[in-house]
Amino acid sequence: MESAVDMQVILQVSADWIFQLIWILAFIIIWVYGQRIQTILTLKEIEGSLSRLKYMRDRGRQIAISTIKEIGKPAEDPTARVDRLLEHVDIEPVSLDPTGIIRRLEHIIDVRDFRFKEEVRQMAPQADETQINNIANVLEAALALNHVYKVVRHYYLMGKKTLSFYVILQIQMLLPLIMRESEAFVNALKAFTLGQPIGDGAGALVAARLMHDKEKRLIAQDTVVSETQIEGRRTYVIKAKGPGGNVGKPGEAIKQILEEEEGKVALIIIIDAAQKLEGEKAGDVAEGVGVAIGGPGVDKYKVEEVAAKYKVPLRAILIKESIEDVVSTMRKEIVDGVEEAIERVKRIIRESTNEGDTVIIAGIGNTIGIAQ
Amino acid sequence: MDEREPRRTPIFFMSVIVFMLIMSLAALLLAIEAYLVQGKLEMINIILSASALSLSLYMFIQIRRRPVSLGFEMLKVSTVIRCLKCDYKNVREFEKGDYILRNAGSCPKCGGTLIIYSIFRESKEKD
Repeated sequence: MESAVDMQVILQVSADWIFQLIWILAFIIIWVYGQRIQTILTLKEIEGSLSRLKYMRDRGRQIAISTIKEIGKPAEDPTARVDRLLEHVDIEPVSLDPTGIIRRLEHIIDVRDFRFKEEVRQMAPQADETQINNIANVLEAALALNHVYKVVRHYYLMGKKTLSFYVILQIQMLLPLIMRESEAFVNALKAFTLGQPIGDGAGALVAARLMHDKEKRLIAQDTVVSETQIEGRRTYVIKAKGPGGNVGKPGEAIKQILEEEEGKVALIIIIDAAQKLEGEKAGDVAEGVGVAIGGPGVDKYKVEEVAAKYKVPLRAILIKESIEDVVSTMRKEIVDGVEEAIERVKRIIRESTNEGDTVIIAGIGNTIGIAQ
Repeated sequence: MDEREPRRTPIFFMSVIVFMLIMSLAALLLAIEAYLVQGKLEMINIILSASALSLSLYMFIQIRRRPVSLGFEMLKVSTVIRCLKCDYKNVREFEKGDYILRNAGSCPKCGGTLIIYSIFRESKEKD
C-alpha cells in the first residue's frame, strides 16, 4: 500500500518535471527565435493586407472595364487597353539643372493628360466630353490602386526572401496609412463612376455658386471664367469646366486675367480643400495668405510669379477634410463648409477692397459632378 | 456580391490556441493533483495555467474580429433640389446623371426654375 503511494508521488513529480521542462524549452525557443517568429507573424499580417489590396485592385480594374463598356459602347473588348493603362508610368523631369523645370513638368503633365483622354476616347467612342473626363478619373483611381498593390507586394516579397525584420518593419509601419489611402481610392471609384461631386471639389463648388447664371467663357484649357459683381466689386470667378472630372488650369487662368488687366487687380482669393489634422472637423474653414493650389506645383508657381510681379495680395480660404474625404463623395459637413466659405469670400472682399475694385476669385479642385 | 474581405481560416493561430489550451489544462491538472496528493498549492502551475488560458482567449478574440470593410458598399447619397425663386426644397436619393446646378424642371409651388443645389453623402464617420 505504501509503495503504491510512493510510486504515485514519483510519477507526479516526474510529470511535473517533464511539464516544467516543456515550458522552459518554450521560453528558450521564444528567446532564441523570437525575432524570427515575429518576422513570420508580421509577414502574415502584411499578407492579410496584401490580399485586401489585391481584391481592391481587381475590383477597381473590373469597375473601370465595366464603366467603359456601359458608357462607351466599344466595338471591341477594352480589357487589354485598360490593362496597358494600369501599368502607365510617369517619368519626372530631370532636376539636376532646375532651370525651367516647371515648364518641363507642365509639358509632361499635359502630354500625360492628353494621352489618357485620347486612350479613353478610343476605348469609349460613344462617350461625351463629360463622360470621357469621368472615365479618365476612374482609370486614375484604378491605376493608383494597382500601383499601391504592386509596391506593397514588392516589399512583402523582398521581406519574405531576405527574412529581414527591418525590411518588413518598414512596410508594416506604413500599412495603416496605405490602407486608408487605398480605401479612399475605392470610394473615389464609386464617385467617379456615378459622376458624384467629391470632397476635393469644395473650392470648385464655391466658385460654381458665385458664377451661377452668369455668362462664362473658356479662359484656359478646361477652365472657365465669369465676370460678375460681388459686393459692388468687379469680380472674375474662375473654376474648372464641369460637370466632368476636371481640375483645369487655374494658374494659367489667373495669369491671363492679371495680364489682361495689366496687374490692376486689388485682390486674389483662392479657395481650395485642405487636408485636416486628426481632431479637426471636416468642413471647418480656415483663412490664410498665399496660393492654395495643391498638385504638382505648376499652377501654384504661375500664380506666385504673376502676383509677385504685379504686387497683388493673395488670400486663401481652406475647407478642411480628411484624406478619405478628398476623393470620396462630398460629405454633408463639407457642403456646409462651402456655404461658410462663400460668406467668408464676401467678408474678405468687403474688408480688403473698395467698391469698384477688381477682384479675382478662383475655386480650385476636381469639378466632377459640379457644373457652372 | 459580398463586398467584404473573405474570411480566411487562420490555421496557424488556431493551432497555437489549441496548444496553449492543452498546456493550460495540463498545468491545471498538475496543480490539482499536487493539491490532492501532497496537500500543497503549486503556484507556478496555477500561474502558468492562468496565463496560457488568458493568452489563448486573447488570441481567439483577435481572430474572431469582424471582417474588414473594403469600402465597396453603396453609400446613401442625397440630392437637394431648390427653387431659384421661392423657398421650395426637395431632398431625394441621388440618381445617375445628377450634378450640381443641373436644371431639375419647374417648381410645383411657384413655377420657377428648379436646380440641383447640392449632392452629398451622410457620413457616420467621427472626426
